[in-house]
Amino acid sequence: MRTHRQIAASALFVVVVALGCRVGSTVPAGAATVQAPQTAASQPVQLPNKDGSLKFAVLGDFGTGDRPQYEMANQMAVVWERFKYKFIVLVGDNLYGSQRPQDFVSKFERPYEALLDKDVKFYASLGNHDAREQRYYKLFNMDGKLYYSFKAPDEDVRFFALESTYMERDQVAWIEKELQNSNEKWKIAYFHHPLYSSGGRHGSDRRLREVLEPLFIKYNISVVFSGHDHIYERLKPQNGITYFVVGSGGQLRRGNINDNSGLTARGFDTDLAFMVAEISDDEMYFNAISRAGNVVDSGIITRRQQP
Amino acid sequence: MGRLLRSVTILALGAGLMACARASGPRSGTGTSGGAASPADREAGAPKPPADEQVKVNVDAQALAEFNERVKEYLALHNKLEATLANLSKEATPEAIDKHQRALGRLIAEARRGAKQGDIFTRESRSVIRRLLVRVFSGPDGRQLKASIMDENPGPIKLEVNGRYPDAIPLSTMPPQVLDALPRLPDELEFRFIADRLILMDVHAHIIIDIIEDALPK
Repeated sequence: MRTHRQIAASALFVVVVALGCRVGSTVPAGAATVQAPQTAASQPVQLPNKDGSLKFAVLGDFGTGDRPQYEMANQMAVVWERFKYKFIVLVGDNLYGSQRPQDFVSKFERPYEALLDKDVKFYASLGNHDAREQRYYKLFNMDGKLYYSFKAPDEDVRFFALESTYMERDQVAWIEKELQNSNEKWKIAYFHHPLYSSGGRHGSDRRLREVLEPLFIKYNISVVFSGHDHIYERLKPQNGITYFVVGSGGQLRRGNINDNSGLTARGFDTDLAFMVAEISDDEMYFNAISRAGNVVDSGIITRRQQP
Repeated sequence: MGRLLRSVTILALGAGLMACARASGPRSGTGTSGGAASPADREAGAPKPPADEQVKVNVDAQALAEFNERVKEYLALHNKLEATLANLSKEATPEAIDKHQRALGRLIAEARRGAKQGDIFTRESRSVIRRLLVRVFSGPDGRQLKASIMDENPGPIKLEVNGRYPDAIPLSTMPPQVLDALPRLPDELEFRFIADRLILMDVHAHIIIDIIEDALPK
């Protein structure tokens, strides 16, 4: 029997205490465009910040080289000072536009310099805007592969980075085998195109869903991170799996969440945002944090159990 | 009896060509179909189409087989030239990636100095690919697929065979439905749209190796 517990911070005015981010600051009225249907909590869920837990972040659709990206990156560095996440999974569109050597600097190395200096690792997946050769870029830790998996340094967790622009037969066979052979308690997938999204620009990729979702269900994936739509959204659990759209790392599509999709547990589309998460045993705590440093969503997810 | 034998021969030839078209590249789209034939077309025991349609299918298969053959030839050249360069490290710097791309691009452009539009996308295969795309885009998701491809896709710009993919132009989304309909490609090559043109791109060299004009149905 799968268990799934999520506590959502649904108040429009949220006193932010989790992580100590901008203590006392509030989310402006109207900032959260979609109310969470789950049991409302009066405060955001605080990350335990325990020794030995797995701490990581999620970022997507960020590589513009523009000022908002830098501001978001600065906020990520501020959060790191209080919550030392070891790595960041990237859900694609790592570099927009040209991808010359100087673009790697202005769209990645410079904005995240503070994090790179702290030895925070970035594990990339590729979006539709990313040249395939990014897979060789040392700081993206892809080991020359378009899709790959890695075991997290803490807790019993494996991440699966997929390449959703060319979801070929070989890759599907690979993911099935990889999932089959994975004995980790937590299995987390991330890739660019969302299987579920209320984004008005792209929305759910149903065709990709047909291929991937049965595998995710069968092999006990607990959480999926995607981007592509330039919003933050946590979806209502689908077949026991929690999906996030975190395409809000650098290029916002303001007001792009379709309120009538019926999919949204929590959405935020009025500012840039990224996620931090902490896995401790069977629970994953998460906060979505805006460029201004406000916690715009939070909760706890209990991992899926083997049937 | 003679007519029957001829029909069987044509069908066998067609099936062989289809298999050739599917097998010549290691990559496919999301689903199980890789070439012109739909899974239904290939389904054993499915009602046989009229003779003229069978011939058309065979002609299409032949066109795609020719396309695949040219892709294979190109790939052989690509591999030969890339082997002359130092291997790109799996932990490369952006400079090393860029240098490798440009060096390979130069070698290929030099080796294919006389290359022109239509060398790989032959006239026959262009026609088949356009029809395959019409089929995809006239489906229920056609409008959404097109919107997805055209998202952040620039208007008409000058493109050249052997030319570097324009640095400032984002790579278009290639929805799985579209990839499913197109012939399979080896890892080194990709299809992309620039405006309504379908290009064949060498991923390692970051160059355009052929172009189909007006590939995206209006």
